[in-house]
Amino acid sequence: MKQANVYILRLLAALMSMVIFIGHANTQSRELVVAGAGGVVANTSQQIYLDPLSLDHDINITRVSAEARRMAQLEAMVRSGNVLWDTVELSASDYPIGVKKDLLQRIDYNIVDPMQLLPALSRREFGVAVSAYSRVLVVRSDKLPDGDTLSSWADFWNVGKFPGPRSLSGRPEDNLEFALLADGVPLDKLYEVLSTEEGLDRAFSKLDEIKPHITVWWRSGAQSVQLLSDGEIYFSTTFNGRVSAVRESGIPVEIVWNGGALHLSFLGIPKGAKNVEEAHIYAHERATNAEKMGQYIKVIPYPGFAAGLTDYVDPEEFVSLPTHPDNLLVQFSANEEFWVDNLEKIEERWNEWLLQ
Amino acid sequence: MIWPALILLFMFILAPAIEIFRASIFDPEFTTEHINRIFGRDIYLTILWRTIKVSLVVSVLCAVIAYPVAYFIVKRPRQQQFAFLFLIFVPMWMNILIRTYAWMVVLGREGIINSTMIALGLIDESIQMLFTSGAVYVSMIQILLPIQIVTCYSAMTEIDFDLVRAARILGASPAQALRRVFLPLSLDGTITGMIIVFMLSMGFFITPALVGGPTDLMLANLIEMQVEQLNWGFAATIAILLFTSTLLFVLVIRSLSKMLTKFLGGGNL
Repeated sequence: MKQANVYILRLLAALMSMVIFIGHANTQSRELVVAGAGGVVANTSQQIYLDPLSLDHDINITRVSAEARRMAQLEAMVRSGNVLWDTVELSASDYPIGVKKDLLQRIDYNIVDPMQLLPALSRREFGVAVSAYSRVLVVRSDKLPDGDTLSSWADFWNVGKFPGPRSLSGRPEDNLEFALLADGVPLDKLYEVLSTEEGLDRAFSKLDEIKPHITVWWRSGAQSVQLLSDGEIYFSTTFNGRVSAVRESGIPVEIVWNGGALHLSFLGIPKGAKNVEEAHIYAHERATNAEKMGQYIKVIPYPGFAAGLTDYVDPEEFVSLPTHPDNLLVQFSANEEFWVDNLEKIEERWNEWLLQ
Repeated sequence: MIWPALILLFMFILAPAIEIFRASIFDPEFTTEHINRIFGRDIYLTILWRTIKVSLVVSVLCAVIAYPVAYFIVKRPRQQQFAFLFLIFVPMWMNILIRTYAWMVVLGREGIINSTMIALGLIDESIQMLFTSGAVYVSMIQILLPIQIVTCYSAMTEIDFDLVRAARILGASPAQALRRVFLPLSLDGTITGMIIVFMLSMGFFITPALVGGPTDLMLANLIEMQVEQLNWGFAATIAILLFTSTLLFVLVIRSLSKMLTKFLGGGNL
């Protein structure tokens, strides 16, 4: 276990506890501190989940925005023994780091999913999946050659047939699978191929082909859709949830589900959390309440796995969700564990490759 | 009473700095693993060199642009000086991120420059300006220029203009008076500004990330990537590399400027 920087971590934790303490002078019997993304996600979950939960169970709920360096903050709290969060939203890549660094406690599924209605893929030992999102190829349909549609990674690589500026994420874990798909590797063999040295070489040499045509390697989801909106880029990867906002602003963009990467994000309970029972109640609501999930994904199109969710979703909208059966069929499940184990090594090669 | 200040300084600056230094070689036992990793592959030193190069170019260009501006302001009547300084301060109050986004709007494929030039018929197709190293230089200089101007200006206000007049009375031409009297006296402020700009540039990462091309990676970007994965030890080692090389270059700039001052002040006509 790497335990560097304990001093800084403690200092961070102390500062954060001061902040929370100030906003917390009035204490009730039951408490819950929920950490997660800010902005529209925060407002939506406040309205749909937190406010009703607070009333029904008489819990005093505090919401903390934790976006950048979320895992660093979590590590700071767990290592210093002063855990302020009772639940934390974990992105797909946060989850295995949390497990590896021993920052999370086991989920009690007797409380979260007593009826055992959640699919196995969403019931993880240290976190329950509350939503799914996809990284997909997005196309400016007005910039396509007449009558043609771009429908696969091989098409993205085909710069002769589909000319125009392209963008990909600047991180290796967002690209290597796509390169292999473009090179003809089937969906279910991706990580098998990627685990070998030859497979890695294969991915990089496929990326060599597209590299001169990548105008910009984007660094945030917001940037990727901005590029598409501004017309800087005609074809780019991005998160499915960001596409509808672009479309609503009148810009014709289409999602290519074929070859998309499906990620799950989780709700976790930090080791040493103070209100474990309340945290489980909240996790139960988030993961299994289909009606609320239906309301939630009207605003934020990242659906979870609550049983009966389809009853609460407009069939037309369902088609554009990552968990629609047709979409699930053509995507692959991103293997976060692979990346936690291999990212350091691959990232060095990636950065060198990028600078060549 | 200097103690409260010293305690604060120790707690919030010195102790964390020592801790970062410690984290780079103890993880948790003494290890040279991180240092070996930095020198084991070219990538880290390549990016370090790029970072230094960008910072040097930005600080030199800032100095060259800021000097005449500061001189111009210092020569105005008092009232006007404040008005000009205010104009220079305004962009400084704006968030760096916002200013960077503003550059994206200006330099973009469908941005102001490209669309104006197309409308005027100067070019047929958009020129790629955004996502190039040039865009990094332009926006970093714009962001850091006010700091250089203000530092330069405050140094120039200290100069006794009677000295320049005296030089003229003693027979120096205007150019000679400027070069042998005013320039050496104002050089110190310029160098101080350059050093501040250089140090700030070394730590830049938002701007190169947003307007730069694929190869415009700075060392700070690498630190951020490591922190993201909770690799504190390696992040600390890169930070130390950045710190020591910044210090080294600041010392080099300092001694070069001393030589230059001597040369300008004492050199032949």
